[in-house]
Amino acid sequence: MKGNGLGGSEAVRVWALRLFVMTRKELLQLGRDVPLLLFLIYSFSLSVYISGAGMMMQLNNAGLVVHDGDRSESSRELIHRFHEPYFRFDGEVHDPRMGLERLDRGTSMLLLDIPPRFHEAIMAREPVSVQLQVDTTNAPQGLSAASYAARVVGEFSFDLTSSRLIGASGGRMDVPIVESAHRVWYNPNQDETWLQSIAHLLRMITLFAFLLPAAALVREKEHGTVEQLLVAPVTPLQIMLSKVLAMTLVVLVSTMGAVAIILKPVFGVPVKGSFALFLILTALYSFTMAGLGLFAATVTRNQAQIGMVSLLVIAPMLLLSGITTPFEAMPSWVQSLMALSPLRYFVDVTYGILLKGVGVDVLWDSILAMVLLGGMLFGLGMWRFHRQFE
Amino acid sequence: MNLRRSAAVAGKEWRETVRNRLFLLMAFLLPPLWMVVFSYGLVLDVEHIPFAVLDRDQSSLSRDYVYRFIESRYFDYRGSVQDEREIDRMLGDTAIRMAIVIPQRFEERLSAGRAVTVQTLLDGTFPLHADTMKSYVIALNRAFSQELLAGFLARTRGVTSAETRRLVEPVTLETRYLYNEEVRSTWSMVPALIMFTLMVTSPLLTALGVVREKETGSIYNAYGSTVSKAEFLVGKLAPYFIISAINVAVLWAIAVWLFGVPFKGSATLFVTASLLFILCGTGIGLVISLLVRTQMAALIITIIMAMVPTILFSGLLVPVSSLSPGARLQAHAFPAMYYTDVARTSFLKGLDLGAMWTDMLALAGFAVALWLVAYGLFTKRPKT
Repeated sequence: MKGNGLGGSEAVRVWALRLFVMTRKELLQLGRDVPLLLFLIYSFSLSVYISGAGMMMQLNNAGLVVHDGDRSESSRELIHRFHEPYFRFDGEVHDPRMGLERLDRGTSMLLLDIPPRFHEAIMAREPVSVQLQVDTTNAPQGLSAASYAARVVGEFSFDLTSSRLIGASGGRMDVPIVESAHRVWYNPNQDETWLQSIAHLLRMITLFAFLLPAAALVREKEHGTVEQLLVAPVTPLQIMLSKVLAMTLVVLVSTMGAVAIILKPVFGVPVKGSFALFLILTALYSFTMAGLGLFAATVTRNQAQIGMVSLLVIAPMLLLSGITTPFEAMPSWVQSLMALSPLRYFVDVTYGILLKGVGVDVLWDSILAMVLLGGMLFGLGMWRFHRQFE
Repeated sequence: MNLRRSAAVAGKEWRETVRNRLFLLMAFLLPPLWMVVFSYGLVLDVEHIPFAVLDRDQSSLSRDYVYRFIESRYFDYRGSVQDEREIDRMLGDTAIRMAIVIPQRFEERLSAGRAVTVQTLLDGTFPLHADTMKSYVIALNRAFSQELLAGFLARTRGVTSAETRRLVEPVTLETRYLYNEEVRSTWSMVPALIMFTLMVTSPLLTALGVVREKETGSIYNAYGSTVSKAEFLVGKLAPYFIISAINVAVLWAIAVWLFGVPFKGSATLFVTASLLFILCGTGIGLVISLLVRTQMAALIITIIMAMVPTILFSGLLVPVSSLSPGARLQAHAFPAMYYTDVARTSFLKGLDLGAMWTDMLALAGFAVALWLVAYGLFTKRPKT
């Protein structure tokens, strides 16, 4: 390139042509790997569908067994208030021990125990308590179920109080209470398929954007074909850039497909912001992840190693970047560590554009962070690549 | 089946692994590292919810009300705002997840014995969290209301405070937490993380074993030798099985000694289940290795196949019972779920085989099935 006797614009043209040829080679090579290609298609279609439709983190279908020691109007009224979709009624038991056995086996999660004389106590205006036993082998779910149950019993109790007060005041009574009214934004019906399908798409973009270029580069190293490339009239920059471009293109097309075929028509994800902006930023994110992948590829010698390094890098990113739990809820050391994770910023970008409908004016800091991380990682990868072969 | 020939294959595989330093290092380093990072880092409790307040009343009672939120460990106060547009902006920027709007005449109405509605605006991006926020707000409002009501009744009817308390809360709920009495996240997380760690690392150990030889052509040495199909596969699997088995012991020790999770169950059962489970894990890697032609495909498919269902459909984050029927089917078609059950039960519940035999049977079934599939897929006479 430098001083090949070509004019400036001619040199650029040749440079671009070579880059194009190299990119095409990557795409062809990927296209011939049929199992991988099929898996790619599965990952961005069916797999997104299954996770979107299937994952429910909200309390749902928690098995409840009841020991009703009273069998009265009041106890039935209370039991009736534990309803679907939060609770699944698993029947009554005659002995609390039988209920505990169900909890042991894990077939039910909660045991509600209503004492004898429950109705009598309520009628006599004596305080009374009901017992709840919760399986907390899964602590967050157990807590969530317990807090729902507290809400149900609290409402039951409060309704009793107000009916008594109203009864005492002759039918019309105003009481000094604070009532709660909620308005949920961005996802008014709290449709969890939106979150889960987007979350899964984020996982897939992350995995493929990292693994495809990383594996492609290590493969060349392992087979020794990278030596051929280095003596060919292409620069290391072109070798790396072509892999990034090819794989970014693949990820981008797959993402478009997933949004157009699954997210929008099947789950009704709103895509409130600009879809073009989302695609541009997805490309930026893929580029950043590819930079990370290529850097990882330069520190490993074969594909077994890159596999292990990928696990090391990717698993914490996927679990701790705030895909399905708000980032601010993480412990502070996780937050500082994950400041280095490009996914942490892309999560804000994706939810921001698709659900909240915000634009560059709000997302500029996340975009800037991705640009900086991407540039840094790509530069670092280039530097290592150069050093290894020259 | 000649075990000496298997041992020879295993010996060769082991030597290759040992020479692949970084790989070997990672194989032993990753599991404990993950265990520690995720046990401390993967916190699912909903706390420190950032919120802002729009107080249209600016009275002492409204300030008292807001203070309840500021005091609570569930909420993180991010200041008060002057109008709704500012709330829009802060929610859009994810500076806050919740905003409380206190109406005008809040104090006036409440002191006059009338009800007031306080509106909360919630960020619905994470529906579970929106739900939890609602619960917290409702509980807080109820407690506040009960106090107001008690004071009101004492003032207007002259009942004693003990009596009013009974009047405002006639039915209470006593909750007992079983198996994990203090509801520690780590206790429920750590046993599941043993599953996660084993499920994600063990397939990758074997995934490249056969396909690497296919790609480089050295598989023809095996094709041309006297080693039988079964002997070859056993030899390929053995070193990685042993690595995973060592990891089981290390992970168990971390769980018990570092995190102090009680181990209430039977050690024999847990060890048997763990060995069956890593047989499944390494078996999955082997099957993928036999199915594909390139290492790159094996690598990517294994990582995704191992990681995604393990995060989503294994009971790690969400109990299998709350998945949709389709996802539940996928969960049952994958060994991780059964092992999560065994691990959590062994650590926290301490039951015997009677409560876990279905899980054990399923794990054994998967191990045998994967082995048969691998045996069926492997041929010493490839078509091309």
